[in-house]
Amino acid sequence: MSILDLIIFLPLLGVAAIAFGAPARTTAKAVTGVNLLLGLAAWYLFDGSKDGFQLTASRPLIPVPEIAYAVGIDGLSLIMLLLSVIVAFCAMWMAPAVERHEKMYFISLLLIAAGAIGAFCSTDIFFFYAFHELALIPTFLMIGIWGKGEDRSAVAWKITIYLAVGSIILLAGLIALQAQLSNGGLTFDFEAWQQRAANDGIASAAQGWIFLTLLIGFGILVSLFPFHAWAAPAYASAPSPTSMLHAGVLKKFGLYGLLRFTPMLPEGLETWRNLLIVLLLGNILFMGFVTIAQRNLDSMLGCSSVMHMGYIFLGLASWNIVAGGDPIGYTGAVLLMFGHGISIALLFGLCGRLRERVSTLEMDRLGGLGKQVPVFSFLFGLAAFASAGLPGFANFSGEVMVFFGGFQGYEGGSLSRLQWATVLALWGVVISAVYMLRAYRNIFLGEQPDGLKVPSELAIDQRLPCALLVVALLVIGFYPKLFSDLLPL
Amino acid sequence: MMPAYYLEAAVVILGLVLMVMEAFVEKADKSLIAKMGIVGLLVVLVSLFFVSGPAEGDDAPIWSFYAVDPMALFYKGFALVTTILVLIMSLDYRSVLQHYMGADQEKPGAGIGEFHYLPLFTCAGLMWMASAKDIVSIFVALELVTISFYVLVAFMRRNVGSLEAGVKYLILGALSTGFFVYGLTWLFGLSGETELSKIAAALGNDDSAMVRYPKALLFSLAMILVGLGFKIAAVPFQIWVPDVYQGAPTPITAFLSVGSKAAGFVVGYRIMEPFFANHVAPQLVTLILAISGATILLGNLAAVAQENFKRLLAYSSISHAGFLLLALGCSSSTTSPVNVEGVMALYLGGYLAMTLVAFHVMCLVRAQLGSEDLSAYKGLSKRSPFLAGVLLVAMISLAGVPFTAGFIGKMYVFLMALQSRYFVIIALAVVGVGAGFYYYLKVVRAMYWDDAADDQSVQISTLSKVAMLTMVALIVILGIYPTPILNLFAA
Amino acid sequence: MNTDYLPILVQFLIAGGFAAVTLLISVVLGKTAQQRSEVKDQAYECGMLPIGETQPRFSVKFYLVAMLFVIFDIEVVFLYPWAVSFQEFVRDGVWVAFYSMLGFVGILFLAYLYALKKGALRWSD
Repeated sequence: MSILDLIIFLPLLGVAAIAFGAPARTTAKAVTGVNLLLGLAAWYLFDGSKDGFQLTASRPLIPVPEIAYAVGIDGLSLIMLLLSVIVAFCAMWMAPAVERHEKMYFISLLLIAAGAIGAFCSTDIFFFYAFHELALIPTFLMIGIWGKGEDRSAVAWKITIYLAVGSIILLAGLIALQAQLSNGGLTFDFEAWQQRAANDGIASAAQGWIFLTLLIGFGILVSLFPFHAWAAPAYASAPSPTSMLHAGVLKKFGLYGLLRFTPMLPEGLETWRNLLIVLLLGNILFMGFVTIAQRNLDSMLGCSSVMHMGYIFLGLASWNIVAGGDPIGYTGAVLLMFGHGISIALLFGLCGRLRERVSTLEMDRLGGLGKQVPVFSFLFGLAAFASAGLPGFANFSGEVMVFFGGFQGYEGGSLSRLQWATVLALWGVVISAVYMLRAYRNIFLGEQPDGLKVPSELAIDQRLPCALLVVALLVIGFYPKLFSDLLPL
Repeated sequence: MMPAYYLEAAVVILGLVLMVMEAFVEKADKSLIAKMGIVGLLVVLVSLFFVSGPAEGDDAPIWSFYAVDPMALFYKGFALVTTILVLIMSLDYRSVLQHYMGADQEKPGAGIGEFHYLPLFTCAGLMWMASAKDIVSIFVALELVTISFYVLVAFMRRNVGSLEAGVKYLILGALSTGFFVYGLTWLFGLSGETELSKIAAALGNDDSAMVRYPKALLFSLAMILVGLGFKIAAVPFQIWVPDVYQGAPTPITAFLSVGSKAAGFVVGYRIMEPFFANHVAPQLVTLILAISGATILLGNLAAVAQENFKRLLAYSSISHAGFLLLALGCSSSTTSPVNVEGVMALYLGGYLAMTLVAFHVMCLVRAQLGSEDLSAYKGLSKRSPFLAGVLLVAMISLAGVPFTAGFIGKMYVFLMALQSRYFVIIALAVVGVGAGFYYYLKVVRAMYWDDAADDQSVQISTLSKVAMLTMVALIVILGIYPTPILNLFAA
Repeated sequence: MNTDYLPILVQFLIAGGFAAVTLLISVVLGKTAQQRSEVKDQAYECGMLPIGETQPRFSVKFYLVAMLFVIFDIEVVFLYPWAVSFQEFVRDGVWVAFYSMLGFVGILFLAYLYALKKGALRWSD
């Protein structure tokens, strides 16, 4: 029994309680609140000076291949766990009023949260995979039942089919990786994989195609260009708590997986690095321009979240496992995952609140709200700046480290492909500044158009979760050592 | 402890008693027949745990054509559970049956008594087939199953669809039997034996005609595969499936889809197994894989367009046959650490639970809302949250979402296929699973997104509730803890 | 050439030959009746008059009776070889041969009772 068991099963207990008649919203708030405290407790119990997984608990289930319900966290999963519990808490608190099927609504949200938390805490690959898919059907229902927009049905299908196919490709990749590491019996135990990969290694050719399969599988889940088509419309249509959880937390699952498995496949990364560089530039530049073209706040946020994934992939691409060296790009990628998760959650949360109040999110039809709702616009501004990479926020420290990683080892002369990519990716920062600042100006500054319903200010109980998110961004922004020390290497 | 074949005898006797009772006790309510059948089968199911095979030195003739091994016992239990659930479903389906028996019946319930006890004979056939290890005994058991299905499929005699289904099933069933027996006779002709174990032993002998004439042997196996292909609904022998599934009374469709398919796979595995370690293995495996790939692809893609829930499940049943064939095709790769029997049993066990739940819901909806189209499922979450909930679990399990039996079965199939390096089929399977998500979730969408046309609710009896909850529990438990089934088959 | 199968060939020949010979004989002997007339073309003795539809509807009872006949006919097919080798079985003490046939006949008997009760053999009404 570990504290992680509690963190995973508390939301599931909440689901059961709601199904048997407990008041939905209160239960969901209470459960995620306790979970937040438990997550912080896990951080307290975690010993940053040690390598390997801590707070472990394991219960064997299947002998061949060896599958166990096993939990444990290392630095990387701790950061992800903190991200999940913080965003889950805020998502429940910021959920707007629900008219129909309120029970289903919160059950779905809790399932998404439980899936994300479970995936980050599992050290057994079967459960790592399975917990992630736990969120698939709730997302489908959330968009379908409570989504907005005429074409929400098509959008729900799109995200579900994309993610389902991505997952099944991922499953194939994971099973193939397992087959390569079967010396000593098939197992899904992650630590056993690590050990076997370190001891025996994997044939270079196998590394290549397994890495590619995993890159595609995880890539679809992270909306890697050109598999990104599901993401922006889905986040635009989904109810805001779902967007918060999905864009903020669940999407990080794919990146988390890549960061986890790439050390076993160093040559695979070498083989496909150039491809990865091209794709991530697609994310940053192509999606960057797409984002600029958006007229709606929610679809702009959706696109921006796709775009920012590119930086994290850049961190991955700059990771030189074979040659060794300072994994600063890796550390930056992790920080950026955290920072992006928090900032996009805050943006989606506020966007949902705004929608509830003004009934349109078209940026041309909004304006001058800054005077009416100062607190709201202040919070939104902070989140937008964080997202655009203003110093002082977690995103900035992450991005800087990623760029350093990209230029690592440069000693003059001509630029390598990676460095060229880094140079181009830097322009992405300008692009995000363009669309974020423009959105802020359009919505909160300038003249208030005629006929715009004046929104009311953010209620006190809504300010608490927002404040929590902002504090998280600032703490890690000013003191990234808190997290970077947790990461080994 | 008692000899295992007492169970089949018990089921047959139960069926005969109910048959005579139905004919002579005219005053009794016909649903009593089904209830007695359910109780009787439950007793048999319990006694399944107390049976034994031949004692040491017991060489009674029956043991030469009747196997008692984990596989036999598992599929006997499988047949019993299926039949019990089919009988429960048939209780819920009575009003529909009654409607199609015509208005000239003198009193309610007349004419549908047979519907409640004929499944028992099918069950006995399925149970026998699980144990059959002699080609004659296999054939007899298969015919017992098929012939009772001929009657049951066409049971609603005032319904054109049911009659059409009956005729199609009769003709194609007879055709497939023809192929099957033809294959068996070639096998007998080549080996001179009817006992499967002796045929397997003869394979090791280089003088055997089976070794000397590999083409003849392959022809025989191909014919057997064709015959079984009809039973398990594999492409290109699947053409009858949608029409027959749609026309037949829903409980019988469920029975066909689960019982008949499982029996086909048991028989197929028992006959084919020795040949996977043989010189014809490459061709045989290629044949099975080709059928498997086509089945996965066609089943899944054709299901996408269906608007009738029963036809949708018919195509889904085809696609699952493809996955099971893929598992069968992995038999020859000796490197596989997971044994094929275990995986097939696991897959079929999960398939039983999820398919029967889906058909059970369909029975209730058909009886109370009068339609089998997907549009009838609109707003089911309002009409009956319970039904919508269990159907949701069944659908996501069929689609293969983790923590359900459907996922774990597919995962093992993938595992074996990857180890055998069947990459092309795996790619097809990925496409199939993707399509599967679409059409299974179409049902979920109808239940949860769309609004009902009226506010009529659906009533569910306690018995049905218990049955469905048991199956849902089975889906979830198998999805996390399939070890009992796998251990049963571990060497 | 496998001589074991010779009797089958002989049977084929006899069956075919019988058909051929009877047809031939009727042609040869019927020569005197070559001149046709209306009276001669009519059915005689127990034959039916060829009047009405070519495919008249029969009562379903015919089929029922025919099927029941086939069932009991098959029973005899099973009983005959069983009876032939029964003595041998009893001598060897294989009583299962007796009980299995008892079971078979018993099942058929129950089926017969069922058919009787359901009115399968009731011709009127």
